[in-house]
Amino acid sequence: MLGIGRLGPLGRDGDATTGGSASACPPAVDERGAWVVLAGAHGVGPVTFARLVAAYGSARAVLLDATLPGAVGRLVDASAGSESGPVLSPASAMTVVAAARDPERALDSVRRSGVSVVTQRDAAYPSRLRQIDLPPPVLFVTGSVESLEPRRAVAVVGTRRPTAVGRATSARIAAAVGASGATVVSGLAYGIDAAAHLAAVRAGTPTVAVVGGGHQHLYPAGHSGLAAAIAAGGGSVVSEFAPDVPPSRGTFPRRNRIISGLSDATVVVEAGARSGALTTAAWALEQGRGLYLVPGRLDDPAVAGSLAFLREAGPEARVVAGIAELLEDLGLDAPPRRARSDQAARLGAAEAAIAAALAGGAGSADELVAATGLPGAAVLAALTTLELRGLVVEVLGRYQAAGRLAERPRRGPRPLDARDAGRPVG
Amino acid sequence: MLATLLSATLNGLAGRVVRVEVDVAPGLPGFTIVGLPDAALSEARERVRGALRNSGYRNPPRRITVNLAPAELRKAGASLDLAIALGVLLGSEQVAADAAGLGLVGELGLGGEVRRVPGLLPMVLALRDRGVRRVLVPAEAVEEARLAPGVDVEGMATLGDVASCLRRPRARRVTPAPLPRTGVGPVVVPEPAARGAAGRAEYADRVPDLSEVRGQVVARRGLEIALAGGHALLMIGPPGAGKTLLARTIPSLMPDLDDASALAATVVASVASEAPVTELRRRPPVRMPHHTVSYAGMVGGGPRLAPGEVTLADQGCLVCDELPEFGRDVLEALRQPLEEGSVAVVRVGRWATFPARFTFVAAMNPCPCGRLGSAGQSCTCPTGVPQRYLRRVSGPLRDRVDLWAAMDRVPPELLLRGPAPESSAVVAARIRLARAAQAARNAGVPNGQLGSRALRDACRLGAATASRAVLLADREGLSGRGTDRLLRVARTIADLEGRDAVSVADLDEAARFRVPADRFGLGVSG
Repeated sequence: MLGIGRLGPLGRDGDATTGGSASACPPAVDERGAWVVLAGAHGVGPVTFARLVAAYGSARAVLLDATLPGAVGRLVDASAGSESGPVLSPASAMTVVAAARDPERALDSVRRSGVSVVTQRDAAYPSRLRQIDLPPPVLFVTGSVESLEPRRAVAVVGTRRPTAVGRATSARIAAAVGASGATVVSGLAYGIDAAAHLAAVRAGTPTVAVVGGGHQHLYPAGHSGLAAAIAAGGGSVVSEFAPDVPPSRGTFPRRNRIISGLSDATVVVEAGARSGALTTAAWALEQGRGLYLVPGRLDDPAVAGSLAFLREAGPEARVVAGIAELLEDLGLDAPPRRARSDQAARLGAAEAAIAAALAGGAGSADELVAATGLPGAAVLAALTTLELRGLVVEVLGRYQAAGRLAERPRRGPRPLDARDAGRPVG
Repeated sequence: MLATLLSATLNGLAGRVVRVEVDVAPGLPGFTIVGLPDAALSEARERVRGALRNSGYRNPPRRITVNLAPAELRKAGASLDLAIALGVLLGSEQVAADAAGLGLVGELGLGGEVRRVPGLLPMVLALRDRGVRRVLVPAEAVEEARLAPGVDVEGMATLGDVASCLRRPRARRVTPAPLPRTGVGPVVVPEPAARGAAGRAEYADRVPDLSEVRGQVVARRGLEIALAGGHALLMIGPPGAGKTLLARTIPSLMPDLDDASALAATVVASVASEAPVTELRRRPPVRMPHHTVSYAGMVGGGPRLAPGEVTLADQGCLVCDELPEFGRDVLEALRQPLEEGSVAVVRVGRWATFPARFTFVAAMNPCPCGRLGSAGQSCTCPTGVPQRYLRRVSGPLRDRVDLWAAMDRVPPELLLRGPAPESSAVVAARIRLARAAQAARNAGVPNGQLGSRALRDACRLGAATASRAVLLADREGLSGRGTDRLLRVARTIADLEGRDAVSVADLDEAARFRVPADRFGLGVSG
């Protein structure tokens, strides 16, 4: 693959079929550049892109024709499918014409924004995305392009307004998934998404954020620091939109298909009745990928959407019955494990006491101090030690066991325990 | 005949020596004051006239010109009254005295009584620095003036006292001057020892002890570190978590000020206080301005160029409860004092730099409804509203916060049966030790103000600690500034524990006071 910006200039692998007749015409770009220009034009989605390229034979041909008089009408007509009408509006066709007349401008803007470009024609294009309907023709990536092709990938998504338990659950799942060697995929949104990304970053495992707008309009803007940390931590921030495309109402549902498409399975942590995470869930099923939903209390609005989805979806939609169970269902190896006694021996005295207190239900620093009897300073320091080892996640000032510590609960059928009955799952 | 006397006015917190030249010359009777006087000073003419007549002197039927030098300095207030009146007496030869080496500060009443002016102490200090060895001050504030070392201070109750005191040169008036006849109520001066004890007891009465705060280990420890190292602390928690209670324990935790700091704090009190200051302010000030405070109220200003809350908190602690509710411009104005330890106030024709070196302690709710992140509760704010609420505290201001402490309501189980918390005395002792360690190492600069380079030297990182610091900074996406913040806090923790070099445990603990990324996003203000 050749990228734009950090990976080098465009246009070495241009296809040789382009004729000399184009020399007088503006589009002095190769086919790969033409893909970037055409896919990056506002109003050209994957359907339009596919139909135009099919009608003209190549993206370069589309751009060449767009520079000739009367192109708007021809483009609109060419975007009509066998059954449906044209999907390209005249207004969007005019943006294509404008882009075709000055393709360098679009390419320059991509170069200047410093993002890498991966097209479907590149070997680096994620193979999981090739398998879905309407794969995005071009991906714009910051961070590691290789992170889009992990051995295993699990999406963790949910509402932007989670409960504290939901955040913690998201963080624990992400930490566990990361610890097992899989990559966490999510959408960089507030709430569940951010908790998942953050837990992965803090555990030092790569994570992929799929954003619903161009890189120059990162949404939400407050997560630009998180995005930078994701890219720096071996993960990537990826978008199907050109860097200068602002996010809008329609761009988020579109990116959801990429979240599920990049992943082997999708885990929905909390989704209210109209949560966008449910569209990701629907995409996952449609794409034939795994889908797991974290259930909750019957009357809890935070999971109303998840429960309704579980009821209506077929048996493909599974329930998350626990972190360890989820890993097992996902077929993820438990993290490279040492003997348990060995692991306990490697924890310091304070860390071990805190691990025990966490297992006993303590959650806040105050509760940990009360349960362990250690001085506050020692508890705080030990929590960081545990966090760096991926054994604890912090969410809004509360702590939860993660990684191997979260696996402690015994597996397999066990007698009903009155204590467990009232506890929220996850 | 010309008489020349030294007096002083106040500019900001500093006294400015003013040479008062009074020329009593033949000509059409009149009284003119030149040299940029403000309204209060222009009216000195009427006060001096009344005081002279009612003290049994004549108002000479001459042309009286008062010049206040340096001429370009704008003078305010009534502190020159006494000098002007004496100048008239000397100029008209009603009193004969040698005024060399003499300074006078005081406001006159129409009956001739001498009254205290705000800022007497810095004015006396300024006169002393100019080489004045003997200063006559209002009797009611003679104790305040005597806080200035190295100068002879005499209290004057009336204009007549001044004249008689000068007639008997160098006669020391040791006994307190008689009370003025009118205007001022009786001044009760208790024995110094008794007053000190009573004042201390009353002070302590209103301050809760840290042992009354149960739970809140993060915020308690954060407060301890903040006060020990001069770090800014921001507590985030729901209403009822105990943020305000914790902030109110601050006076019980701060060590007494040393001589230089105490004098600086007393100067501020002298300028700001309506009543005379009677003793050196050994206790650091703790200011808790309400969130409706105006810009001028916070940074200083107004017609008198008065010090604001940041200056009143100098050498002490500024507590801002409900931080996002403060006006945006008020919050932005905090950046300069937090960065530089002083604040510049500019008014038409005048400007002043006020000291403002304080420990900043702030508290806020996590969101408008207050429930975000509370155990067992869910936030009812619309999407994005909590984030916007938090962002009312701007990035540059957040950058100045070294310590972030998330708080939650303490569950009843812990309130009733939790471990007994440490008392203020125990924590205050650790803070005192940490301050002493910093003073010895950093040349008087608290850890919270250390520059990058000095900080790295002070931390004495070894191979293990340096790589731990890198690991922590990487995980949090910290910039250079964020890394400095981590090291600063770790340095203070090590000082609290009496360690020479920062340890891995110190770094780990410091990392717990990071910017809450789950509220603000990772590294946004890092």
